Amino acid sequence: MENLGYLFAIYSIVWAVIFGYVFYLYRKQRKLRREMDSLRDSPSKQEPD
Amino acid sequence: MKNGRGKLRDDLLVGMGFALMLAALYMALVYAPTEKYAGAVQRIFYFHVPLAWVGFLAFLVVFIGSILYLWKRSVIWDSIAWASAEVGVVFTSLVLITGSIWAKAAWGIWWTWDARLTATLVLWFVYVAYLMVRGYAREESQGARLSAVLGIVGFINVPIVALAINLWRTQHPTALIFEGGLAPTMLVALLVCVVAFTVLYILLVRQATSLKILESDIENMKNLRLE
Amino acid sequence: MSRMFASVFAIFWKDVLSEIRTKEIVTAVLVFALLVLVIFNFAFDAASGTTARIAPGILWVAFTFAGILGLNRVFAVEKENSSLAGLRLCPVDRMVIFWGKLAGSFTFMLVIAAVITPIFLVLFNLPLFLPRLALIIVLATLGFTSVGTLFSALAMNIRARDIMLPILFLPLVVPVIIGAVETTTCVLAGGPWSDMLTWLEIMIAFDIIYLVVATLMFEFVIEE
Repeated sequence: MENLGYLFAIYSIVWAVIFGYVFYLYRKQRKLRREMDSLRDSPSKQEPD
Repeated sequence: MKNGRGKLRDDLLVGMGFALMLAALYMALVYAPTEKYAGAVQRIFYFHVPLAWVGFLAFLVVFIGSILYLWKRSVIWDSIAWASAEVGVVFTSLVLITGSIWAKAAWGIWWTWDARLTATLVLWFVYVAYLMVRGYAREESQGARLSAVLGIVGFINVPIVALAINLWRTQHPTALIFEGGLAPTMLVALLVCVVAFTVLYILLVRQATSLKILESDIENMKNLRLE
Repeated sequence: MSRMFASVFAIFWKDVLSEIRTKEIVTAVLVFALLVLVIFNFAFDAASGTTARIAPGILWVAFTFAGILGLNRVFAVEKENSSLAGLRLCPVDRMVIFWGKLAGSFTFMLVIAAVITPIFLVLFNLPLFLPRLALIIVLATLGFTSVGTLFSALAMNIRARDIMLPILFLPLVVPVIIGAVETTTCVLAGGPWSDMLTWLEIMIAFDIIYLVVATLMFEFVIEE
């Protein structure tokens, strides 16, 4: 039963990596939403070349 | 954006995914019998194997998405392929990490060049290269097109690599083999875990895909503004 | 059909001529390959008894590295001279460009092999007359160059081109490398054909599959 340490390590790593990816997706979504909103709120902010 | 019914379906999917993962955890840790020789550590198997299968599924989706992108040139297929490659790399990395820790727990060494682990490693490199092509491309459309080619060529390589490495391993066997038989209860537990991870994959890919489509929409909007 | 052959040959001959005139790549790659062989000698202490087991690996690592250097140049040359636009304008099927370039890089690698192999056999005190080894080299080179030419074109226009080529290329040619090493081991040990048969079949299958796939995919890589 001493091997349980390894089992715990595995499950927590799997958890951590997946959760890390979810977090990365979440942060990206926030950033993109903000960009989208700023583009909408300031029409023709860019000058044509 | 999303109508009411779409939102409900999304929430249901997330709820189902959560419930399934809980069930998978139960199956792996409680329901499944303890293996005779390897002990409790063998339960790693119930996460390791589904991660591998779903990783393979992810690359199959990359393959199909790449073909469809080169054919239809729609940003949706490109986004699906890219998202699936991302999630696939995450899952495959986990396969390698869990495989390594399992080897350490069972045999005291961090890595064993057994056929499946080695083939998975080669596969991992192919799809990391896919993501790198995206990153190093000079513009989005180029990245999409070139990585689609890699997505197709890389997937065709999978059976060949698996065959070659398998043959190589049978000719130079190591003392360590990764598998034994499967009792029916173990099979049930494994199947539950496979389903759980598949749903997780679907959830992650859907999320990542919509993000990439959003990114592409923003790019288009920016380009339109500049005109 | 014969027009296609003529076009393929034209592209091939252009590369051969420019290489003969400058001799720039062949000599550099040759010297590099020899160096790799020698350095492996230091790394693995070839004087000891393990030579027979590792010699095939050393040969194929040297080939692989030298091959990557050569493949890097296949399309880099076109990019530097901006001649790819010219090639694209030619009223030829895209795959003609691929086959022309493939012929060039295949010949190039065979030349390198023809020089390196005897030197390798001498350095490691192995028998010199090995026709089966020639077959292995041809099959492996075909596999390397069909994948490598496609990826050379693919990497041509992206950043970090020189390092991306090996990253793209190496995982895919793993079956070729394993097959080459296994068959070479068998040949150096004087084993029978039957021992090598399966690996030869794998290598032949790889070559055929990738020649077809690379030909089909090339037009997507080169479009603009």
